[in-house]
Amino acid sequence: MQASDLTDHISRRFNKDLEDLRNMVLSMGGVVETQLSRAIAAIVSGDSELGLKVANDDYKVNKLEVAIDEECNRLLATRSPAAGDLRLIVAIIKTITDLERIGDEAEKIGFLASKLAAMDRPSDSYRELKNLGTHVSHMLRDAMNAFARLDVADATDVVLEDERVDDEYELIQRQCITFMMEDPRSIKRVMNVTWAARSLERIGDHAKNICEYVIYMVEGKDVRHTVLGDDETPED
Amino acid sequence: MPDASRKFLVGLVCLLAAGAGIGWLYDAPATGVLAAALIALFWQVRHLLAFVRATRTRDFEVFRVGDGIWQQIFSSFSYQQARAARYKRQYRQLLREIRKSTDAMPDGAVILDENHEIVMCNRAAKALAGLKPKKDRGQRVDNILRDPKLTKLLKSETYARAIEIPSPVRDDGWLNCRVVPYGADQKLLVLRDVTESMRLARMRRDFVANASHELRSPLTVVTGYLDTLADDEAMPRDWAMPVTQMQIQARRMNRIVSELLELSRLESAGPADVEERVDVGGLLSAARRALGMPGDTAPIDVVVDSAARLRGSASEIESLITNLVSNAVRHTPVDGSVTLTWRSDADGAELSVTDTGEGIDAEHLPRLTERFFRVDRGRAREDGGVGLGLAIVKHILGRHDGRLEVRSERGKGSTFTCHFPASRLAMPSPATLRGERRPA
Repeated sequence: MQASDLTDHISRRFNKDLEDLRNMVLSMGGVVETQLSRAIAAIVSGDSELGLKVANDDYKVNKLEVAIDEECNRLLATRSPAAGDLRLIVAIIKTITDLERIGDEAEKIGFLASKLAAMDRPSDSYRELKNLGTHVSHMLRDAMNAFARLDVADATDVVLEDERVDDEYELIQRQCITFMMEDPRSIKRVMNVTWAARSLERIGDHAKNICEYVIYMVEGKDVRHTVLGDDETPED
Repeated sequence: MPDASRKFLVGLVCLLAAGAGIGWLYDAPATGVLAAALIALFWQVRHLLAFVRATRTRDFEVFRVGDGIWQQIFSSFSYQQARAARYKRQYRQLLREIRKSTDAMPDGAVILDENHEIVMCNRAAKALAGLKPKKDRGQRVDNILRDPKLTKLLKSETYARAIEIPSPVRDDGWLNCRVVPYGADQKLLVLRDVTESMRLARMRRDFVANASHELRSPLTVVTGYLDTLADDEAMPRDWAMPVTQMQIQARRMNRIVSELLELSRLESAGPADVEERVDVGGLLSAARRALGMPGDTAPIDVVVDSAARLRGSASEIESLITNLVSNAVRHTPVDGSVTLTWRSDADGAELSVTDTGEGIDAEHLPRLTERFFRVDRGRAREDGGVGLGLAIVKHILGRHDGRLEVRSERGKGSTFTCHFPASRLAMPSPATLRGERRPA
């Protein structure tokens, strides 16, 4: 399925509605991506003002989710779409939920950044958080690109990438435990770091979900809770 | 008439005449003409079919030699075809050259149609923004470069500003985006990698901020001791003069440092928020009370023609007014006058400070807002100016979408006017107006 396949209806209005809906989802993705990169920047540079700004801006994401959800309901009610169109709308309804949750996690990270900014900073200024954050924001970016281009290959790559994020999270957690055992006074700070890492890891999961919806949308195949990879389609 | 056509007509007429002649011999001339015409028709149809077959099989051997009408048709047909093919080749060559030159451009260029959909993009755009020339054709550009700022710029229809967005392919990279409309609803999106210059600008900002910050603490110590010394009764009389001088200079330095810090704060912060409603008229009156000293300075008049409130930061607007008014007062003799005006109309509002002071030469006007710029190098330092006031004014205006206009004539005085767009204004509700009319 190509992007142009979406615009192949007898009703011009319906084409435009579907196209607008898709554009809205992608612009929501843009807002969420900005929120995430700002939240990561806030934690890495110890900028409490930026962190609070991210936390306060989450309402923008929520507003977009409500607007898109309403538009989806309207299209379902008035157009009774079928096949590919129905899959597109269903995938969008699920995608925006995940995007909104990513927004929530970014809000949480922003808030943690403002708290961490007031505490001691380690000498590496949270390099491991920055690495995990960059990794996750690349995943989100690729997920949204796959959504825009309806690219199953890219989407599959992102789904597989999630495992590496999980490993990285595991590592940070282990490191944090070591810090806490070495110096119990740092527990309060390191707990916040763990929470931030946890939020980042969750964002990776949400990005993976979005890619699974992309695969569902294009191929009509539900790949949730299955193992993707070389043995992707054993029956073929 | 070409040769072939004449020959064809003569042949046709001869054939018909021959048919008529033979028919006349047999006493049926009409039948003879009809038979001749049928022969001619049969001959032409055969050639027509052969020609159509030849255009399909590209085997024109039959038509290549000879000088009949069909050979004539074929030669002009093949000439047209060859010319079209030559043009096609030339245009393809030209297009390839253009593509090559756009690909050689260091800046990314993306051609957009009226719906902001990608028509074409060059190689740099591919590298800078991660666009895929084939796959992304027909895709809206802000579906791939999903920065809210770019979406806003594309929606703005005027495309007046260039914006910086984080690079989608390079970590910590920045792209400068500019939209140039052309032709019938086409747009060119120009992308430029500004990572380096953004980094340099940030380094410069950080340097000024850090240096000012570091200078502050030693200065505090110095002024502290100088103040103690100045108050010391036991100090020898000869020292009084140098100590006072040092005190004055230390205070000046303090002011420079705090203004530099203010400036770097203004530079690094985003646009001023629009939630606060600033009562500009009230601030002008307050500036008159604070800076006008009857007898010492020129009298200050305040003219408030508008009840409009400015949406922005009150503390910044206050600092803007203080800077402009203190400049005016400093450069106006006691017998002159300073007028502060606030007025608004449908297009926006303006705040102006007019004085009857010495004025500024036209050649200096463009450089007025530069840091530490002085019109008169020798004199200005004595009257307590630091040289950062107008730079601060410019930055505050920039954060409020405003614009500074300076009119001045040597010996007659100057007018500094700050223009604000209508989008930055808010009309107060009647209730608040009534509340403010009460005598303070």
